[in-house]
Amino acid sequence: MATELAIRAAPVRRPWETGWGWLLLPCLALLAGIFIVPLLQLGATSVTQPEPGWGNYVRAITTPVYWRVFATTFNVAAGVTLVCLLLGYPLAYVLTTARGHWAAVLWAAVLIPFWTSLLVRTYAWMVILGRRGIVNQTLMALGLREVPLDLLFNRFSVTVGMVHILLPFMVLCLYAAMRGIDRGLLLAAENLGARPIQAFVRIFVPLSLPGVVSGSLIVFITALGFYITPALLGGRRDVMIALLIDDYVSQLFNWGMGAALAFLLLAVTLVVFLLANRILGFDTIMGARRDETT
Amino acid sequence: MSRSKQGKERITMMTRRTFLSRTGTGAVVVGVAASELGFPAVLRAQKAPLVVCGWGGTTTAAQREVYFRPFERETGIKVVEASPTNYPKLKAMVESNNVEWDVVDTADRMIFSGIRENLFERLDLKAIDVSKIDPRYVIDHGVGHKAWSTLLSFSTRKYASGNHPKSWAELYDVAKFPAVRSLRNAAFDNLEIALMADGVPFDKIYPIDVDRAFRVMGRIKPHVKVWWQVDAQPVQLLTDGEIDLTTLSAARIIALRDKEGAKADCEWNQGIVHMDWWTIPRGAKNKDAAMQFINFAIGAKQQAAMANQIPFGPTNRDALPLVKPEVLRNLPTSPENLKRQLLSDRTWWGENLTKVEERMKGWLLS
Repeated sequence: MATELAIRAAPVRRPWETGWGWLLLPCLALLAGIFIVPLLQLGATSVTQPEPGWGNYVRAITTPVYWRVFATTFNVAAGVTLVCLLLGYPLAYVLTTARGHWAAVLWAAVLIPFWTSLLVRTYAWMVILGRRGIVNQTLMALGLREVPLDLLFNRFSVTVGMVHILLPFMVLCLYAAMRGIDRGLLLAAENLGARPIQAFVRIFVPLSLPGVVSGSLIVFITALGFYITPALLGGRRDVMIALLIDDYVSQLFNWGMGAALAFLLLAVTLVVFLLANRILGFDTIMGARRDETT
Repeated sequence: MSRSKQGKERITMMTRRTFLSRTGTGAVVVGVAASELGFPAVLRAQKAPLVVCGWGGTTTAAQREVYFRPFERETGIKVVEASPTNYPKLKAMVESNNVEWDVVDTADRMIFSGIRENLFERLDLKAIDVSKIDPRYVIDHGVGHKAWSTLLSFSTRKYASGNHPKSWAELYDVAKFPAVRSLRNAAFDNLEIALMADGVPFDKIYPIDVDRAFRVMGRIKPHVKVWWQVDAQPVQLLTDGEIDLTTLSAARIIALRDKEGAKADCEWNQGIVHMDWWTIPRGAKNKDAAMQFINFAIGAKQQAAMANQIPFGPTNRDALPLVKPEVLRNLPTSPENLKRQLLSDRTWWGENLTKVEERMKGWLLS
């Protein structure tokens, strides 16, 4: 397989094999101090408040509402990831081939939203998709609709808003992977009789898979924790888990339950990640050596 | 010596060199040395600054003008602002014994959880004169100082000439008033609204029949387009004409109508009156000054000045006559408005908040 060849070609040396591993220490210390320790404290909160014991977890697992919120969260995140991939793949491909003015325009289209405040972009969608928004006014002016379409406060508007925010992450990951692909391989395939579409599907797509996987992972995992966008653009059923956690901490003053839900999110995310890894083999695709002897 | 009075915060913000060059007095050097060497507070600045935590935005701006600056002038104690009031933060501060706030402007729904969790100091009623305050708003751990109302608010694009819904029953009447509706994403207020819509009189609302309230809310649920989280949302949505009817706090809707000229207005009938309280977090570093501040801020003159800035209802009996007549009609506690409204029962909410809000979450998702 072409992917395997490409991976073998780049020797991967682990940090401790190079003798420079100690350079990681400041980063690890920082991570321990500002991430691991608070995480452990949060874990302690989840089993001590409001009462000691596993009560919060038992309640979270036995109450259907929480299942529904988890299901919504993963559904929305998966949908957003899929749409980002479908929109981002052609865009990243064009970015790798574009030159001159076109490249500048395309990069601006990707990066300017990336640098704009999340809140501003979310409110912008409320303006665009609203009853008196641009879309509805256009439809009504053209006589295509009598009454405005319900574009806001539903799953559609949540997905649109989140895709808009997460698309640059997908595009940058895909671009990084695609830029490294030797176009000579495509020429060689065509030289050997493949039609361009065949060469693209059998050579280019497999070689871009590391970008697809890393982009999808970043988008999916970031989407799981989304808060403001679903809160502002969603309807009553589009409640994602971060919203519920915030409610427990800041509205209901129940930190224990908030912490337990946060840990469940972490656990479920890890399970999904590990399952996907078993099926798709991320570590091979991402470039790590699985086994020396194969 | 005057500079050192401004307290430790000022000192730590400057380098020692610039500090010395600006003052150049021996007394200050002693003051700096004392604070850096950890000498007892008595050797340091005599009047430490007072940190007052409020809700931020226009409320804090108004409080700065009518409470903080005059208090500084009167006492020489510098007021440092913090915002917004945040219960988890307050709780974390008290529990870690690292309290940064001395006075907190606390909401109804926080105060009873806070007293149960022992987060507040008892007020020293020898230092605070509450003789003129409505006795309903004086409790061991706080003094009520600004009333606010939840009101039926509407777009005047949709309802121009007094033909808007005038009661919660009419808000619930989707046949007579077809409109885009919005309600708060909480059981808080909504349970009372549902019962009033179902014809329950004010004196029979509490204790709330929760089952009945949820049953009645079931009638409106499919017709509510937006369940708002923070009141900035309905403010924006009303301005944009995205919603026609919503609940909103009186001060927000009145500012929207009078200051920002939005096409929106409110109905006082069946409004729900709430209270915000001055409290002192347990372990506050500047407790005495905090008591002094509360005593100052609940004075009739100060409360009236606040009401003239933002129409929150004063609790000092002598304050209402000092309020401008054109402001009076916007106050939740004006006699005219008060008799048409329900007083939110904070004790009921203190006991039931968590339970009913959790039920609300499940209800909204189903």
